[in-house]
Amino acid sequence: MRHLPYILKHLRRNWVRTGSTVLAMSVCIFLFCTLQTFVRAVTWNLQSASATRLVTRHAVSLVFNMPIAYKERIAAVPGVVRVAKVNWFGGTRRPNDFTEFFPNFAVEAEPYLEIHPEFIVPEDQKKAFLADQRGCLVGRRTIDRFGWKIGGTFQLESFIPPYRVGKPFDFVIDGIFDTDLARYPGTDTSMMFFHYKYLYEMTNQRVGVGTYVVEIGDPHQATAVGRAIDALFENSDAQTKTETEAAFRAGFVSLAGNLAFLLNSIALAVTFTILLVTANTMSMAVRERRTEIAVLKTVGFPSGLVMGLILGESAALGALGGGSGLLFGWGLIRMLPSLPFIGEAVRGFPELGLSPAIGGLGFALALGLGLGAGLIPALLAYRARITDMLRQA
Amino acid sequence: MANVVDVQGVRKVYNRDSLEIVVLDGITLLVPEGEFVALMGPSGSGKTTLLNLIAGIDRPTSGRVTVAGTDVARLSESALARWRSRTVGFIFQFYNLIPVLTALENVQLPLLLAPLSRKERRERALTALRIVGLEDRSAHYPRQLSGGQEQRVAIARAIVADPKVLVADEPTGDLDARSAEEILTLMETLNRDFKKTIVMVTHDPRAAQRAHAQKHLDKGVLTA
Repeated sequence: MRHLPYILKHLRRNWVRTGSTVLAMSVCIFLFCTLQTFVRAVTWNLQSASATRLVTRHAVSLVFNMPIAYKERIAAVPGVVRVAKVNWFGGTRRPNDFTEFFPNFAVEAEPYLEIHPEFIVPEDQKKAFLADQRGCLVGRRTIDRFGWKIGGTFQLESFIPPYRVGKPFDFVIDGIFDTDLARYPGTDTSMMFFHYKYLYEMTNQRVGVGTYVVEIGDPHQATAVGRAIDALFENSDAQTKTETEAAFRAGFVSLAGNLAFLLNSIALAVTFTILLVTANTMSMAVRERRTEIAVLKTVGFPSGLVMGLILGESAALGALGGGSGLLFGWGLIRMLPSLPFIGEAVRGFPELGLSPAIGGLGFALALGLGLGAGLIPALLAYRARITDMLRQA
Repeated sequence: MANVVDVQGVRKVYNRDSLEIVVLDGITLLVPEGEFVALMGPSGSGKTTLLNLIAGIDRPTSGRVTVAGTDVARLSESALARWRSRTVGFIFQFYNLIPVLTALENVQLPLLLAPLSRKERRERALTALRIVGLEDRSAHYPRQLSGGQEQRVAIARAIVADPKVLVADEPTGDLDARSAEEILTLMETLNRDFKKTIVMVTHDPRAAQRAHAQKHLDKGVLTA
């Protein structure tokens, strides 16, 4: 610690150079943290996929619904425990205005809640919800976001044509669901569920089923059960595709997977560039200070300590850049949802925030970059002979 | 009186490409404790090389350099660094103060290696600055000092750890006559009142006259 003032004074020596290096480092860490946060948000709810759940959908596309009658046939397949209808409703509070969007689904409530133990609802609220056709369950995050309460009402209007009935759907908040993230990591509590029956009636009984969530008894039988379900409808108009819940969700984020690769590549390229910039800064700083290094060694500083001082200086650069980058990143990620255009795109992500893990990784990366950049100049200073440095000065 | 510096048959050879350059050739030099010796000679005669060997910042190719009872060539790099911090104070021609540190911080540098508290370091550095007459300039940066004052700060840095031996490489070479005079007077005081053994390289005969003894080097050989 007694050498810290010495290190910090040197950083102030050429404040323009130090400032620009810190800024470059800061931008690098900011980008890293922001991109990683984005990737994490995109892939977050993959974690909550259960091994005992399959999802059956139309073989051609999710856009097409399946007949309601499929439910009984799927339920009869050996190994199937329960089946629930689920339709993505895509409702917004104001028509085509996604600023206050949250995921909402029409579900066959009773089996759906039994299949999904991660949605924890107090028993009285669950009873009230099951008894109320206009009732809905809303996740804690959305409840907190809008300051809603049990008994409150709101309206949603879907952007999906078959569900547009010329007027909004009215909902009553009968229950609030929470989760236990320790047991069910990745569970999204920004969702809202209402009765499939309500959707069915409101659309004059014309709507089919978007997906069937199938609970199976033995996760090892997932492939066989899935094949058996699809075989049932092989010769029908609406052939099905059944897959594990994890595969189903992964399909959703496969595009995001490519995005993650792209974002990680960008982060890597930026990081490498900053490493070179910082290494150049440190090399210049050390080259300018040959005489000083010679003086330090002359007055008795061991070579190891001189090396440590240079590494300390470059680590301090990294820490400053990392700290400010984290601050930028944290601020921007907080601001993102309220920004025009991009805000609408990111608002749906349930876990958009700079996590301690990503923050820590970003800071460690900054320190690593700093130390990496200072390593060669520090080694050169370590090995340099006093007389040579004095002669070259 | 015991010899603080004992140089015996020292030879120093540099290899430049395929050339072998003999800088010192069989030098033997004894400097008794409390002595003030001036090393003189033309450029390239090996004065600074000899001074560097005495200060322990270079090693002889052959021969022995014993300073304050320690055979310098036998010490490892880290042991030599520790030894330098305790035994030798070095005064450079161009002062070589660290520009981002104040006079006080520059003087404190060698004390960062000693097991002293912050307060003790500060007190000792202020004492050293008082000895060189610059206590009131302790908060000044090198750029705010004149050449003579910078050299006095450099001398304070050299003496702050209370070394036995001071080595000075043309300490007045970059100064005007008046400042040079002040520096030489200060070095006399350090020699006389603080019993510091001083080995000084100089080109200036007037500076050399302030020393008790003068040694002349020519082409790597002591001539007188």
